[in-house]
Amino acid sequence: MTADPILRAEGATKAYADLVALAPLDLIVPAGQTVALIGHNGSGKSTFLRLAAGLLDLSEGTIDIAGAPAGTSEARGAVSFLPDEPVLYDDLSVREHLAYVAALHGVDVDVDTIDALIERVELSHRADDLPARFSRGLRQKTSIALGLIRPFELLLVDEPFVGLDATGKEALLGILAELRTDGAAVVVATHDPGFVELADRCVALRDGEVVHDGPATTAEVHRLVST
Amino acid sequence: MLTADPDADLEGALDDWRAFRRKKRVADIHWIDAFYQAYLTGILGLIAVAVVASFVGDEAITTAQVHQVRADGPAWVGLLAAFAVALGLRSGSRGGPLALERAEVRHVLLAPVDRTSALRAPAIRQLRFLAFVGLVGGGIAGYLATHRLPGTEPAWIATGALAGLTLVGLATGTALVTSGLHVPRWAASATGVLLVAAAVADGTDVLGWSPTSVFGDLVLWPLRFRLDGVVPVLLALGLVLVGLALLGRTSLEAAERRSSLVGQLRFAATMQDLRTVIVLRRQLAMELPRLRPWVRLSLRGAGRLSVFTRGLRGLLRWPAARLARLVLLAVVAGLSLRGAWTGTSPLVVLAGLAMFLAGLDAVEPLAQEVDHPSRRDASPRPAAEIHLLHVPVAVLTMLATAAVAAAVAGGPGPGHLPADLAGACLLPLALGGLGGALVSLLGGAVSMSEGWSLAPPEAQGMRLAFRTAWPPAIAVIGATPVLAARSALDSGKEALDGALPLVAAVVALFALIAAWVRVRDDIAAWFKASMDMAQEQQKERVRTTG
Repeated sequence: MTADPILRAEGATKAYADLVALAPLDLIVPAGQTVALIGHNGSGKSTFLRLAAGLLDLSEGTIDIAGAPAGTSEARGAVSFLPDEPVLYDDLSVREHLAYVAALHGVDVDVDTIDALIERVELSHRADDLPARFSRGLRQKTSIALGLIRPFELLLVDEPFVGLDATGKEALLGILAELRTDGAAVVVATHDPGFVELADRCVALRDGEVVHDGPATTAEVHRLVST
Repeated sequence: MLTADPDADLEGALDDWRAFRRKKRVADIHWIDAFYQAYLTGILGLIAVAVVASFVGDEAITTAQVHQVRADGPAWVGLLAAFAVALGLRSGSRGGPLALERAEVRHVLLAPVDRTSALRAPAIRQLRFLAFVGLVGGGIAGYLATHRLPGTEPAWIATGALAGLTLVGLATGTALVTSGLHVPRWAASATGVLLVAAAVADGTDVLGWSPTSVFGDLVLWPLRFRLDGVVPVLLALGLVLVGLALLGRTSLEAAERRSSLVGQLRFAATMQDLRTVIVLRRQLAMELPRLRPWVRLSLRGAGRLSVFTRGLRGLLRWPAARLARLVLLAVVAGLSLRGAWTGTSPLVVLAGLAMFLAGLDAVEPLAQEVDHPSRRDASPRPAAEIHLLHVPVAVLTMLATAAVAAAVAGGPGPGHLPADLAGACLLPLALGGLGGALVSLLGGAVSMSEGWSLAPPEAQGMRLAFRTAWPPAIAVIGATPVLAARSALDSGKEALDGALPLVAAVVALFALIAAWVRVRDDIAAWFKASMDMAQEQQKERVRTTG
């Protein structure tokens, strides 16, 4: 690997009392790389993404984002996290959500930029509605827009395709491909074999440990997730 | 890709957006709703004050009693401060005291905004509210004190208000500091228990001093002014200031866990859904069953024994915190019995409530059947039979808990119960607490449906009050034999002879509750069938006459 790593995890471990959610994990992701993180339920994918986002406290080890420890102000400015379960305000419309999150990240966005992003995730017809009343798929689209309205060097995405319709999934795949071209590192936890084949690299976790790191075919993905 | 302005005022932007959201929220509140809420709060507050005032009474205490209050009061009043600090330690070690909106955790605290600034506004808002409650509550307590104690009204009210404010400061400040310093839960719990134990030891003259007795000195200023009463005020202020400075170190993991649970917890409490409150509180405290049981059970239950062994297996996976809570509740019940035995009759209520809370833990295996009815209903056995088969394990748990309470009540020290009376109290304490918990669990949350929607509001209100008060009342009945024993002793009879009839009554009451557990579904089915039949007959009559 020649590029500077955007994400560097060394011995990253998460344990809840006597339950180990993530065994010591070493992982380096350089800029511009798309990584598919796969594994069966409870394998530690979401735990790792939440640790890298700064939402969980590490039990042991370190995770650096763009050279700063995960959770610090510098790291928070460099990482965007799209959770599997969208978390939104009850009293803000889609447009207000985007303006708010952009402001929190020091981005001076104009109406056209917000509208363009809303159109990209196919929410133009609901831009002034409250997403708290949306379906799961529409909430997911709002969450994706929120993850993209701010600058980042690393995008962490947890189960992005759950709840999305076919066009929504296609739009998201297009966005992820563009991000790679723009030089951002992307780590996607998914069960979707189709996405794994598009990724530069596939990291498989089982019971909190890495059991595969490299390219993977659909057949290999099925084997890694099911065994 | 978008770029950030390195000179952007992120904290200023956050303030502007919070102000925008507040304006939106206020615009949505109708002034009549706000007025009605204030009216309701005022009415309920007045009722609460009247009830507390009736407990306090109006009779001035004697000069000898005033001397005793001056001598022993600081230690016992200091117990309040010990509880406040212990509460703060407990809350802070679990990520409290702030309960943020979940979206705030995700969008604000994950943004590169300075966290101390971001959390200051919600922390101050929470402090402001609690300070108001402390000030008013303390002032009222001070006013009530003037009914019994010497001293002027303004002095007692002002001191009470200051003491209430100090208690809030101690609890919230301790929680903020504990959270900011990431004090481990075991260390926080141990410190809290030590403080409470020291205050109790000081009150019972086992120790000559406790760190919290200075709070008692503050509260008793109208009786005797001691400068060291200033210490808890300064300490509370210092803790709050240090806690606010440490806000930026708040754990996001704990903040998110609290944010997702506290809202549900408040809703469940509003709906008086006790079971949901218990489950959510356990999640908030991360009170998880042990992966490895305390003892591996080789017993293989079959037939009727399978429910019993399932209960035992659950019991053997209880976390240490739950076991410790049961012991603590038993100690509270035992000490309360001692207090009731030596003349403070209302303490039987505290003893009963402690056993009721223990009972709610003891019925856990049964509660899980109620929480997951589809699994229970998939069994060929009637649900009521499964419920009843869960009772023996709960009885064993409660007997063990009550044994600790009886040992504390009858143990050495001032005001202890005679050994035979303490032993006789064991069974009613256990069965009363468990009976109340069974009724509470199987009765479920109080609902206005269940065929009561057409009843007049007065009847619905009485039913609501009865359904809420009856389960803890059963537990309190379980603690009353000690009062009967004291009454018998006062009239020159054997204490035990006075207690035994009530012991028998509590056992009979529990037998009735167990029978209710078994036949309540049958009764409900019979009642529904009767109602359906009556409706059919009514329709038939209308058809015939029409």
